[in-house]
Amino acid sequence: MMRLASSLRTALAAFLLAAFAFVLIGPLANLALWSVAERWYTPYKLPVTYGTRYWEQVFRPTGDAMASLGTSVWIAVLTVVVALALSIPAGYALARLKLPARAFFMVLFLLPQAFPSVAIYINVARVFYQLGINGTVFAVVLVHAAHGLVYSVWIAAAAFSAVDKDLELAARNIGASPLRTFFSVTLPLAAPGIIASGIFVFLESLDEFTGTFFVGVPQVTTLPLLLYNAAMGGNYQVASITALILLVPSVLFMLFIERFLRADVLAKVGA
Amino acid sequence: MRLFTIATSLAALIAASPLAAQTLNVASAGDQNMVDYVKDYLGPMFEKAHPGVKVVSVGTGPGDAGSQKIYEKLDAQKGSATTDFDVVVIHQKAAGQMVKEGLLSKYTADVDTAKLATGDAARNALGTDVSGYVIPMFQSQTALAYNADMVKTPPATFAELADWAKKNPKQFGYNGIKGGMSGVAFVAGWVYAFGGDADKLMKGPYDAATKANWDKAFAELKAFNANATITPGNAGTLDMLNRGEIAIGPVWVDMFYSWQADGKLPPNMKLKLVSPGMPGQPMYYSIPEKSAQKKLAEAFIALATSPQVQADGIVKKFNWYPGIDAKNLEGKLDKAAWDKLFTDVTPAELASNGKPFPIAPYFNDILEGYEKKVAN
Amino acid sequence: MSISQRQLALLLIAPGLALVAALFLYPLSFSLISAFTGPQGGVSLDAFRKAWELYSRDMLFTVVIVLASCLFTGLAAIIIAGTLTLGENRWIVGTLKALYRWPLFIPFIVAAQCMRTFLAKNGLMNNSFVAMGLMEPLQAVSFLDWRGIVATFVWKQTPFVALLLAGALAALDRATLEAGRNLGASRLRVLVELALPQVMPQLLVALVLSFVTMLSVLSVPMMVAGSQPTMLTVDMAFRINSYGDYATANALGVVTYLLSAGAAIIYLKRGMAKEGAT
Repeated sequence: MMRLASSLRTALAAFLLAAFAFVLIGPLANLALWSVAERWYTPYKLPVTYGTRYWEQVFRPTGDAMASLGTSVWIAVLTVVVALALSIPAGYALARLKLPARAFFMVLFLLPQAFPSVAIYINVARVFYQLGINGTVFAVVLVHAAHGLVYSVWIAAAAFSAVDKDLELAARNIGASPLRTFFSVTLPLAAPGIIASGIFVFLESLDEFTGTFFVGVPQVTTLPLLLYNAAMGGNYQVASITALILLVPSVLFMLFIERFLRADVLAKVGA
Repeated sequence: MRLFTIATSLAALIAASPLAAQTLNVASAGDQNMVDYVKDYLGPMFEKAHPGVKVVSVGTGPGDAGSQKIYEKLDAQKGSATTDFDVVVIHQKAAGQMVKEGLLSKYTADVDTAKLATGDAARNALGTDVSGYVIPMFQSQTALAYNADMVKTPPATFAELADWAKKNPKQFGYNGIKGGMSGVAFVAGWVYAFGGDADKLMKGPYDAATKANWDKAFAELKAFNANATITPGNAGTLDMLNRGEIAIGPVWVDMFYSWQADGKLPPNMKLKLVSPGMPGQPMYYSIPEKSAQKKLAEAFIALATSPQVQADGIVKKFNWYPGIDAKNLEGKLDKAAWDKLFTDVTPAELASNGKPFPIAPYFNDILEGYEKKVAN
Repeated sequence: MSISQRQLALLLIAPGLALVAALFLYPLSFSLISAFTGPQGGVSLDAFRKAWELYSRDMLFTVVIVLASCLFTGLAAIIIAGTLTLGENRWIVGTLKALYRWPLFIPFIVAAQCMRTFLAKNGLMNNSFVAMGLMEPLQAVSFLDWRGIVATFVWKQTPFVALLLAGALAALDRATLEAGRNLGASRLRVLVELALPQVMPQLLVALVLSFVTMLSVLSVPMMVAGSQPTMLTVDMAFRINSYGDYATANALGVVTYLLSAGAAIIYLKRGMAKEGAT
């Protein structure tokens, strides 16, 4: 009886998993199909002819796809570094210290994500032109970091506030300095959340188009620029291929960070 | 903070590495194929003729939104000595606005090929006098695309289309007015057909009272919409035609041809330019007032509007209507390529039913009237 | 001590704030000025009046869509993260873990494009159902309206919320959860009564961030659904691109911002009430 129930449950779980996989993979399969579809129209349910014509088009010598990809990844990495460097102290202050007008500051960090960006970027560009930094990677990184900061600050604040205060107190009681307590207890415990936030900042930067256009173009061109044009114009093949290319650094970054994370966290467990 | 310093110096490194002795930045509002046209075709040709020059082509997205981005970027650079872009490819609406605000340079007197473009479009952009500031890159036109398997005899007028849509509910689709210009063109065509004096809308003068005459047309359009499918965007209309979900929809002729070339439309799709007519518009080559490379930019545009390039690049490669007057292309093009341009829409139909968009104030009145009386 | 702690707190938060102030607040002030300036200059609420008159329906539409998306995203994320933490079948947990994150890496604009061709009447989804014999071709309906927008948002945002939630759940003390199991509680009860309350802050943060992100996405409503009605981002873009009307667009931006701030404040109030209680 028990066995029957449990195998039924497994079957149900497997069915749900399959349904989930369909919902998840379906749209992605669509993407993959379009990237190799040379002709696809009604009444055919699948592409009429397959081929690599559009891959060749994206990677043609004058296409600059790889150079733009390199710039995009480089900008994304710098953005993560800047965002985390700013948000770890800020997140700690928001979560742990007696900060006046805390709610106000939290909402302030949320702003760049909430307000429609175009109007803002025009004015940012104006300022950057005056400073003479428009068209540099540095300018693009700053804009992306301001945009991604909400993720890292909010998530870091949540991660810090989730750390058990008793553990910190215990460390202090055995004579650790506040700074040492922070680096050996608080930060490692909050690390999973903070690192996850890094992934979002990375992805956010890798997707960003409007800010890059206003403060980077034409000296700095990134891959999402191409993606945006192709997708808005309904050029499914080129957009799909570009999206697949952008997938590579995103997944690699995630895998890299997870490896790094696992070793770190495991080492602290029970220490 | 040290990270900042590192970032800055690395950024400086990247920014400082010169791409070439001289760079000509070309910004195109439009689909990827227009960006690629400069990147792959015009750019290399120009670089060959001007050693040491590098052409950089960037796209700002399709439709008026793309032109608006170019405008905004130039506007942000008002205080700078030079602008980032040396050549811009823009739509009519943005061209008019940029000329009014002094963002463009009056350059066509220095470019011989400007004499080859004598049509109204070279002087007038939605009621703004732009002569001297623009040369058309190509002309485009909206028309109804239909699936010849599903529609044997396509409607020839707006009135017939309204009847057809009633008999075939949800088989006509367009993208409203917020999803791109093909839907806007359809709405403008509707007002031309049912709103009274169409010529006045295209030529002016503007009279704020005119819009009161459109109430009936808008009410009918609202009823018409009940039987129509509202598609997501210019590409969304083509997309639904691709999957056979709608049988007729308004499209840009140039997009239609490039989708067909990309295998994204059934081979039996055809175009019909219904009467009394639908709007079309050119894309313009212009030079920003503060371009640092005006001479090069002029040379670039001269090349781009030369009869041979217009014949090979614009007509043969993309099936776009040429920007310069058609008679200049004689002898530069084989007959087959020329005829292909007019497979579905004959030159006579184009002449009689290819209309400009309304002048800017009427244009805004139509859009806002639609927002208030049709979409709401 | 407490004063110096305050100073320390301000010192720590200062660099981040400086960046936001320079790259956001300062440029934002121009937008606010334009939203509150009338056509003839001077302070006026004309832009807001116009925004309300033309787009009140879209405001409601936007709120409903974003709330519904957050709700479904939260539910899906809880199920996924719960299964990952408490699941006992290794094979299922492994498969789920390998799968659920993929949409995270797809930009919104590409997600929109995927969904437009996936959810359409003759799209890949309906075609697959027909091919599997689950559905007759005539029953196929298009989901390219508000349902498509919600589906795209949930598809794209669920991995984000699930990732944060699973991280938080993994950091929980396993012993308590095991103890609950040993006492005979079902896994569902352990999840809902023991685990979830402890990770509420993370869940809510993830949902508030999703809420704000969805409010500001242009490509999804633009590409997935027709424009009548539509979301406020589309209206903003339309105001700018068609009329060059920055005032009304900025007024709509202020509305969007108030919505986000509202969501944020509800979350923050809850957090503070809890802190006060303990």
